[in-house]
Formats: sequence, structure tokens, C-alpha cells
Amino acid sequence: MSAVCAALAADPVLATHYADFSAKTEAALDPALVALVREAVAAVHGMGAAPDEATLDAGTRTCLAYARRMPFEHTAITDEEAATVVAHLGEAGFVAFSVLAALADAECRAESVGLPELAGEGS
Amino acid sequence: MSTIPRVSSGVAGEPAHFGSVLAHQPEIAESFFALYGHFWGSDVLAARIKEVARMRNARVTECGFCRNVRFEKAVAQGLGEEVVDDITDGYETSAKLTDAEKAALKFTDALIHDPELLTGDARAALQRHLTPAQIAELGLGVTLFLALAKALITMGLEPEVMDRTVLPTPAVLEAAE
Repeated sequence: MSAVCAALAADPVLATHYADFSAKTEAALDPALVALVREAVAAVHGMGAAPDEATLDAGTRTCLAYARRMPFEHTAITDEEAATVVAHLGEAGFVAFSVLAALADAECRAESVGLPELAGEGS
Repeated sequence: MSTIPRVSSGVAGEPAHFGSVLAHQPEIAESFFALYGHFWGSDVLAARIKEVARMRNARVTECGFCRNVRFEKAVAQGLGEEVVDDITDGYETSAKLTDAEKAALKFTDALIHDPELLTGDARAALQRHLTPAQIAELGLGVTLFLALAKALITMGLEPEVMDRTVLPTPAVLEAAE
């Protein structure tokens, strides 16, 4: 469960809608890629090991390199980098991938500030 | 940072913007707008505080679109431009922002920039001014503001120029419920 969902435990309406948004985003992509993106982004934040890319195809490695830029270098991503991801995933896939990578980054940050504990204390 | 869309509009006849690009993924779009409508419709945390956090995120992430949009509900709660002008570095000394808003801004900075900013006094101030339920809602908001700003920027959807624009506050569409 993400830090955001955990923090919303006392608000089932928002929790359900957030979980649905996250699930719909993930469902639009290959489950293996979803897991790799989340691992890669978490590793940038120092939350776990980076995925082993030795056996991955070039397109997937390109996606992971792009995802790793999301936490601290999102304004430096170039048109060419984006184009390589679009070429691999297609436009619809690129949209879902962009939301997923950004959401994965934000969820790591929510965990880093201890959002679930802050939202749970005293409730 | 590119102002040239990196993905086309998914709506015939419309230019590429966040909504039209998200149309490539209608299930994600529908779910997001339902979530965002419920978030802004909830009054657990005042819309003015949500908007203060959104403005701070817009400035730190360099999202020009986010920075120029204002939501009616927050404006109606007194978030005028003279207050927005203070949502910049040094907001701690603002006479126009409330203590609760300053605590929310520190939380926002911690989440989007450096978690070490929310230790000691800052954490205590957040918990003094906001209830756990309000912090949960603020956390959801900042998570969404940050993620959407980054998604928008990396998809090349930043406007070249944009005037300040007051928009209706996102709401839940009755037909969607």
C-alpha cells in the first residue's frame, strides 16, 4: 500500500478514488514495466535497490533511464529522450508511463516525510 | 524544458493540453477527474490552504500552467494575488499568510524538495495547526500537484505564454457518480 493510501485510511472515499487512479494508471502498462519503474524511482530516493537491467531489452532500459530522471531532473528531460520512450510505448503508453513515473516519485516523497504517521497521529 | 507537445491531442480538433492528452487513456482520465473533484469538493481542509500548497508546488516545480491557474473556491476564501505573491522563498515572515498556511507550506516544501525540512519545530507546528485528517488531505493534494506538474512538464505541455486564469474549481460530475 502506498503512503498516500495509508494516510487516507480514515477517509474511505478519497482513499478509494486514489487507489482507483493509481490502479488505472498501472493497468495501462505492462505489469513488469510498472514494477521496474517503481523500483527504479524508489532507488533514486534511496528506498531499495535499483532493478537488475542485465536481461532487459533496450526499450525497457530506455524507459527506466527516463523514469530515473523524474525525481530530480524532470525539467532537463529532452525532446529526444521523450521521443525514444514514445517510440517504445506509443503515445497512449507514454501518457500512462509519464503519470506512473511522476506518481511513483511523489509517493516516495510522501513516504519520506512520514505522511502515514502524520495522518494517523491522534486520529 | 519543452513547450512543444511530446504527445498529440487525443481529442479531434483540440490542441494538446493536459485534458486532451489524457484522453489517450480515458480510464485514467475518468478516474483522475473523479479523484480531483472529490479532493477539491471536500472541505476537511480549506480550499485556500490547498491552493496555497498548489501555488508553492507550481513555483518549485516550474510548472507555468499550474502557476497561472487559480481556482474559484480558493479565491472566494480570500486567496488574492497579494497573498499569492508571498508564496515564495521567505514566506515564513509573511504577514498575509496564516500560521496554518505557513505550516502547510513547510510540509509542501518537505514533500516536494527536502524531507529534512519537516523535523522538530516544523513538524510540531504542522500538527498544532492541522488535524491528522487535514494533513492526510494535504498530503494527497501535494502528491497530486507534484505528480501532475511533472507529468505535464515532461509531456511538453507547458504553455509558451499564459495569462492568469481563474477556473471553476474541479468538481465531481454527477453523471460520473
